[in-house]
Amino acid sequence: MIAEVTPAANALVGLLVALFLHDFVTLARNRRLLLLQALVFALGATLIVYPEIARRLAHFVGIGRGVDFVLYPLVIWLVRESLLSRRRRHEEQEKVTELVRALAASGAHEISPAGARPHTR
Amino acid sequence: MPAFNEDGRLARTLDELRACAAEATLTVFLVDDGSVPTIDEVAIGVAAQGLRVVMARHAVNLGQGAALETARRLALEPRWAPAEGPFEAFVTMDSDGQHRASDVLALASAVAGGADVALGDRFAGGSEVPTSRRVLLAFARVFEHATTGLRLSDVHNGLRAFGPRAMTQMRIRQNRMAHATEISRRISRASAARAKDDALRVVEVPVSVRYTDESLAKGQRASGAIAILVDLFQGFLFGGEPR
Repeated sequence: MIAEVTPAANALVGLLVALFLHDFVTLARNRRLLLLQALVFALGATLIVYPEIARRLAHFVGIGRGVDFVLYPLVIWLVRESLLSRRRRHEEQEKVTELVRALAASGAHEISPAGARPHTR
Repeated sequence: MPAFNEDGRLARTLDELRACAAEATLTVFLVDDGSVPTIDEVAIGVAAQGLRVVMARHAVNLGQGAALETARRLALEPRWAPAEGPFEAFVTMDSDGQHRASDVLALASAVAGGADVALGDRFAGGSEVPTSRRVLLAFARVFEHATTGLRLSDVHNGLRAFGPRAMTQMRIRQNRMAHATEISRRISRASAARAKDDALRVVEVPVSVRYTDESLAKGQRASGAIAILVDLFQGFLFGGEPR
């Protein structure tokens, strides 16, 4: 199997390395996440430099291009992830609403007529 | 009555309501939906002058639907019931002065007269509705009819009255502007209840809506309609069983 080091491959691997370096600094405390990221990035870089791997896997399962073999599951996963995070945000919003409402209800008070000092309970 | 950054308009609205207080015993449930700066209670006290005002404050801005729901729950709490006896009617109105105090009483008396739900109809009331609003509301009317089955002359009018029986069924889960569609759907369901005695009686009452440059600037735009659709869809997807 030959490495295909095209300009595009260089750029993409460069991007992965840059991202990893950035996270290496900012996520320095989260070793496990960093390790997972390193593995995923290494796998990605391998697929970029050796496109023949993805190409053969794609042909094996009946998908035309190697890129599509990576792309299809990725798109499905991203759509699912975005729906899940939207649902999570919706649920968080409902919780915040009830929290703010409970606070409002416990602080509810009658406004005293003009002149008197407004009292709170 | 929900209020968000209404400044002087809120005081004027309360002042107008106070003028009607002789004809009926009123309690205003005012929800400050996270206004910045917070609503000035002394100014409210001056404007209300004897009108009973129960005030609650959202620590952060949640939206008109959320404020209405907070007010609804307060109004149903026994501790805020007036000494004269339980409330006969519950009216929702805007705090920016676009609704008239006399219309509030008209809706309340429709409910006291036997209706469970009385909805304001700004077109029958002879309001001068700007053309942009007419077009938007025409679309909203078709949409409401298609999605809720409720055929109304006017939709998304904040002036509504509910009897005690209807009030307990009007839980609002849509925090922002989509609550109007949610209310329509609840009314539609409840008015079509299988058992005749359970079905809510709905009437429309002519009201007039005052459009000012201020209220138009702060009010809904066509882009808001898209936000409403998105909220409705999210509520449909993630809201679970209607409770």
